[in-house]
Amino acid sequence: MKTIIRGTLGTLGLGLALSVSAGPVEDQAAFQKYYENKFPNTPVMDFQNGVYSILPEAREQWEAIEEFPPYEIAIENGEKLYHSKFANGKSLADCFGPEGAVRGQYPFWDKDRGMVITMERAVNECREANGEKPYGWKKGKIADVTAYMSFNSRGQEVKVEIPSDDPRALAAYEEGKEQFYTKRGQLNFACADCHMLTAGNLYRADTTSPAFGHATSWPVFRSKWQSMGTLHRRFAGCHTNIRANPYKAQGTEYSNLEYFVTYMSNGLEFNGPAARK
Amino acid sequence: MKFLAKGLAFGMLLASPLVIAGSGSTADHIKAATDAYKQLSKDTGYQWTVTVIKIKEAQKALDAGDDKSARKLAHEAMDLVEATRQQAKIEADTWKMRVPK
Repeated sequence: MKTIIRGTLGTLGLGLALSVSAGPVEDQAAFQKYYENKFPNTPVMDFQNGVYSILPEAREQWEAIEEFPPYEIAIENGEKLYHSKFANGKSLADCFGPEGAVRGQYPFWDKDRGMVITMERAVNECREANGEKPYGWKKGKIADVTAYMSFNSRGQEVKVEIPSDDPRALAAYEEGKEQFYTKRGQLNFACADCHMLTAGNLYRADTTSPAFGHATSWPVFRSKWQSMGTLHRRFAGCHTNIRANPYKAQGTEYSNLEYFVTYMSNGLEFNGPAARK
Repeated sequence: MKFLAKGLAFGMLLASPLVIAGSGSTADHIKAATDAYKQLSKDTGYQWTVTVIKIKEAQKALDAGDDKSARKLAHEAMDLVEATRQQAKIEADTWKMRVPK
């Protein structure tokens, strides 16, 4: 009898363990399915348009904005910066090619360094490698340059990989996953609370966007900011909104969160830069 | 186990006579709240913006000579630290329940 009980408990324990330790592929399938079920009228590829994929009444207005996009100046500034010569005569084009159309390669896991590399980090590391000072992480020149690079990368598929031969990559993914689902701040919100469980609901006057597709459109011109900003600027803004102290932009926490969120959008297309409320 | 040990250490800090009995100067109370905030942040990564604001308000009141308000604000800051600690403790495992299967 004892054996049966032990066996049953063991099986239940294993079942529970398996249910909380699904791998990235299973996570992604369940994640995307969740949004497909929640918003059955939204074509899957349309989730890359953020809240406008689920809000027809705001979409018309957004499409009108996109005819004369507020991020156009950023793209122009970014193009100039991208091709500006460093003191050593080189430029960002020497690191990323003539047009910088490399958005689809980021973020990626760098095995040698054991960390997630975002496109913003790669840009600043290119500058530093050539003796230049790095840009700030959240807005300004970094957003302009990545706006230009993202614009030239439009249509590239999101295909983040988690190398199976490096357990540190999976650990980084898991940390990002934990960040996404963990409640923080005095308001006790997780990313998932607003952008998954109650996505599409009103918070005061704003409808929360689905997290599926969140990572495709950056950098973004936000009407609230009246300027361009990077994804990590937005992460920090969200954390401040829920009264949690934000982490450092491009620190491990936000880089791993970006790794997870972007992986969840695998299969969509990068379509940045974009305009958002 | 690590979390439990940290929680125990933090609990002992909260249970210090200074905080419980209200003895010590108001400056000591503000320092206790500040230290508790920093320690929790170091141990768990959880920080609330409102706690920092409350600590700053306490210091400002003390600097202005309003000892009563300063002490009240310091205690409120300590309450916020405790609430943050509870959040960290609960979320250590609860987040997994939100992952769609």
